[in-house]
Parts: sequence; structure tokens; C-alpha cells
Amino acid sequence: MKARSVRYLIGEGLKNIWLNRMMSIASIGVLMASMLLMGIAIAFSENVDRVMSSIESQNVVMVFLEDELTDEQVQSVYEQIKSLDNINPDETTYISSNQALEGVLHEMGPEYEEYFNQYFEEGNTIMPETVRASMIDLEKYDQTVAAIENVEGVDSYNSSRDLAVILTTVRDAINTAGVWIIVLLSLIALVIISNTVRITMFNRKLEISIMKAVGATNGFIRFPFMIEGITLGVIASFLTVGVEYLLYKLAIKALDPIIKILGYNPVPFSNFMWIILLIFLALGIISGLIASIITISKYLRREGSEFSAL
Amino acid sequence: MRTINQQILSSGAAQPLIEFKGVYKTYDNGTKALSDVNLRIDKGEFVFIVGPSGSGKSTFIKLIIHEEKLDAGEILVNGFKMSSLRKKEVPLLRRTMGIVFQDFRLIPTMNVFENVAFPMHVVGASKREIRKRVSYALNLVGLGRKARNLPRELSGGEQQRVGLARALVNKPSMIIADEPTGNVDPNMAYEIVDLLAEINRRGTTVLMVTHAHQLVRDFDKRVVMIETGHIVADNAGGVF
Ligand SMILES: Nc1ncnc2c1ncn2[C@@H]1O[C@H](COP(=O)(O)OP(=O)(O)OP(=O)(O)O)[C@@H](O)[C@H]1O
Ligand SMILES: [Mg+2]
Repeated sequence: MKARSVRYLIGEGLKNIWLNRMMSIASIGVLMASMLLMGIAIAFSENVDRVMSSIESQNVVMVFLEDELTDEQVQSVYEQIKSLDNINPDETTYISSNQALEGVLHEMGPEYEEYFNQYFEEGNTIMPETVRASMIDLEKYDQTVAAIENVEGVDSYNSSRDLAVILTTVRDAINTAGVWIIVLLSLIALVIISNTVRITMFNRKLEISIMKAVGATNGFIRFPFMIEGITLGVIASFLTVGVEYLLYKLAIKALDPIIKILGYNPVPFSNFMWIILLIFLALGIISGLIASIITISKYLRREGSEFSAL
Repeated sequence: MRTINQQILSSGAAQPLIEFKGVYKTYDNGTKALSDVNLRIDKGEFVFIVGPSGSGKSTFIKLIIHEEKLDAGEILVNGFKMSSLRKKEVPLLRRTMGIVFQDFRLIPTMNVFENVAFPMHVVGASKREIRKRVSYALNLVGLGRKARNLPRELSGGEQQRVGLARALVNKPSMIIADEPTGNVDPNMAYEIVDLLAEINRRGTTVLMVTHAHQLVRDFDKRVVMIETGHIVADNAGGVF
């Protein structure tokens, strides 16, 4: 095909999108929904991976002591923990309940600090006495934690490992559910796009019959419809990246207090922006192409009547 | 070489453009539309096809433009063998002909100029060529002034003249028209056929199906008559 024809046909395809704008908007909407779900799953995975790698390098277990222990008892528990196998006594520290509270309040930021300071004025504290135990060899994690739990006066322990387990479970659940939702939405998108193209095609029935009568090849007739499908996919891709950027920003803002407590640094959007854009474009272009080619080919095979009344 | 050919043409050594050799066509439902049709139309001829309703005239046209396939015999159109025409060759065949429709088939959202330019986009013509050829064709049919009008702003006769301009814009070697005057009033019908005669005088072969018998008599051309799928008469001079 001549470059001139390609330019003409691209123009025709874009014109079709505009003339058929209600359906075009519907197609873009459905495509965006499926892309957005995929994008959210990817953003979540990216962050879980980052949390995981920081957790895996952490060798610290926070050990919470029972309430109502005397100061001597607290000291004794602390010493026992320090003397356990696989515990590094030099890096293991004791944090009093007041210190623990201060630390938490500090991490939450000044607004919260003031608010909670009022509340805890009478020396109340919700934080237990804590020992921050540091391990030498992470391979022996499970045995070490079991030994800590056996020490008299230990109430519970908290390690980021628990968080890791929760996060990976959630991530895996999202990924499995996500795959099915995305497959389903992609199929819906395919149906909607092919309906959009079909409507354009019926609006263009007359033009198609004239094109055939004056000797247009099927490729030539098909081209604008393919442009229409592809363009819908491309528009949806860019819009979805934009929407996801905003949502991601909002989510980080909303989760800010929690993120700060955890001392976590979310993955910047720009880290995975290009990956999701590429995935969206691939998804959009492929589904747009498939939908339009299937629809127009079916039509061209069935309708052969250039001369008979339409 | 070209001038020699033109000399041969004008000196009467006719070259066949369309040849039917023992052609049969039966539709899927068993209707025998054409039986043993033999006919030769030479380059530069003007031929009317007449006959009662349902006699097979449109079928005859559809075989020429390869909208329908023949069952037996052979049809040659512009060197294309219709019995063994491959799908990919259909567009090439169509580019040698200009088709005029009874119901005009103008695209309502395009103005007159754009309607006539439409077939030129299909063959990838340049903007300059398009401007040149479209204004030539519109002037020929007397609608140079209405280039910017939409089809609905024109009379039936004018719309069909746009259809004619569109059919000849790509310089086809033949114009094929199935009842082109069927939807225009009788006075306008004469204008349309006058135009076809003028186009024919400039070298394009014209094949026209019509029911307007008085019109056929007045134009003094070759007339082929079809009845129940058979050619029953083939005379010069508007006689049938
Ligand atoms: N697609 C088709 N399927 C089945 N039968 C058909 C088809 N097209 C035409 N026929 C039949 O073939 C016969 C010839 O039809 P055709 O359209 O060629 O007639 P015609 O001479 O053009 O008639 P008219 O003057 O009414 O236009 C008729 O009996 C018609 O009913
Ligand atoms: Mg007919």
C-alpha cells in the first residue's frame, strides 16, 4: 500500500472513532477497567517485593513481656534472652514501655504526637515492656523464636516475618483472583470493541460496498477498522497510566501514617510506570486488533453484494 | 504503439472487451437465470440491455463485475478469465470498470467533490491528481458549481450525474450501469443517457440495462434483448 493510502486510511479510522464516540467511550472504559486492575496488582506486587526484601534482611525480633512484672523480673528476662543461642547480646536492647510509646508517637508525626500525649498524660501506657532481640544466623530463625517464647515472663513476640507471611498471602490471592478477573475483563473488552467496530461497519456499509465496487482490496477496507481498534487500545493505555498515577498518589497519602510507623518507603510510581504502560499497550493493541480483524473479516466474507440493494 | 492501436480502433478492426461463450448461471435455489448466453462487446461500443423483469439482465451484469460466479462456459472481461478468476484479482478487474447504481449510492455525509474523489483514494491517487480528475469529471456532468453541496441538496437527476462522475473518475475502460435512470424522472433520464453517450464518444465502452424503451429507440445504439435467460435479439440502431 502506498504511504499516501496509509495516511488516508489512518485518517478514516480516527474519524470513525469520533463519529461513533459513544461506543468508543464504552470500549475505552471497559479496557481501562481491566487495565487498571492489572496495574493495581502490579503496583501491589512491586511494593510487597520491596517490603519482603527489607524484611528478609532484618534479623530483629521484638519480644513483649508480660504485664505486672517487677523491675527485677524484667531484668532477668532480658538477661535470659541475651544468653540464648543465636542471640547477639551486644545488639540486643531493652526498651521500657514509656520509651516504646515515645518512639511510636514520634514516628507517627507531630499531629498525632500532640493528640496522644494528651490522652496518655497520667502516665498510662498501652505499650508493654519490650526487648529488641537481634539474631546472628537467620537460618536458625524458627528455633530461636521458639527458645525466646519459652523464657518465663515473655508474653508474645512480633517479628516482621509475620507481616511478610500476611503480605505474601495477600499478594498471591490478589494475583490469582486478578488473573481471572483480567481474563474475564479482557474478554468483555474484546466483545465491546468488536461491537464498536461492528457498529462503525454497519454505518459504513454503503462506503464498503462502493469501495468493493471500485476495486478496493480487502486489506484496504480492513485497515481503517484496525486503526480504530488499535487507537481505542492506545487511548485506554495512556488514560489508565494517568489514572493509576493519581490513585497511587492518593493511596500513599491515605496510608501515610501506617507507612511511617512501619518505616517503609513505597516504590515510586516511575519505577514501574513504563512496564505497566508497555503491558497496557500490548494488551490494548492486541485486543483492539483481534476484535476489529475478526469482525470485519466475518463481514467481508458474508457480504458480497455490491450491486444488490443494501 | 499506442497510436497504432488507436488507428486500428478507428479504422474498424474491433477488439473484444467483453465476451460471453456458452454461459450458464443457476442460483442456489435452482432459478435458471441465464442459459447458453453468447455475446461479444467490443471496445468503444455503447450497448443497451433490455428485457422483461426477471429475465436475467442484472445477473448478466453481476457476472461481468464478478459479483456472481458463472456455472458453465467462459466470460472474458478486459483480459480477465472469469471462470478462473482468483479472489485477489477481483479488485484489479473492478478497477477497469466504473459502476453506476440505480439508487445512486452517494455517501450522504460526503459532499459532491468527496463522493467523486472516493474511488481515487482507493487507488492511492495524489491530492493534485484528485483535484484535477474530480473537477474534470464534475465539469463533464455539468456539476462543477455544486462540488461543495451534499447529495441531499441535489435533485435525483443531479445525484445520478454525481454517480456518473464517480464512475468515470478513475478512467475506466467501461461504464456499467444497471437501470441508472430507474430513479430519475423521464426528462432527466435523457440527460443521463446523453452524458453516457458523450462519455462513450470520448472512448469509454458503455453497457446499460434499462426498462425505458422509448429512450432506447431514440438513442440509436446497439440493443441486446434478454428473455428468460436467453438472448433473443441483438440489433444495431435502437431496434428491438
Ligand atoms: N441472488 C439470487 N438468488 C436466487 N435467485 C435470484 C437471485 N438474483 C436473481 N434471482 C432470480 O434470477 C432471475 C433473474 O434475475 P435478474 O435480477 O437477473 O432479473 P432482471 O432481468 O434484472 O430483472 P429486473 O428487470 O426486475 O431487474 C429472477 O428469476 C430472479 O428471481
Ligand atoms: Mg435487474
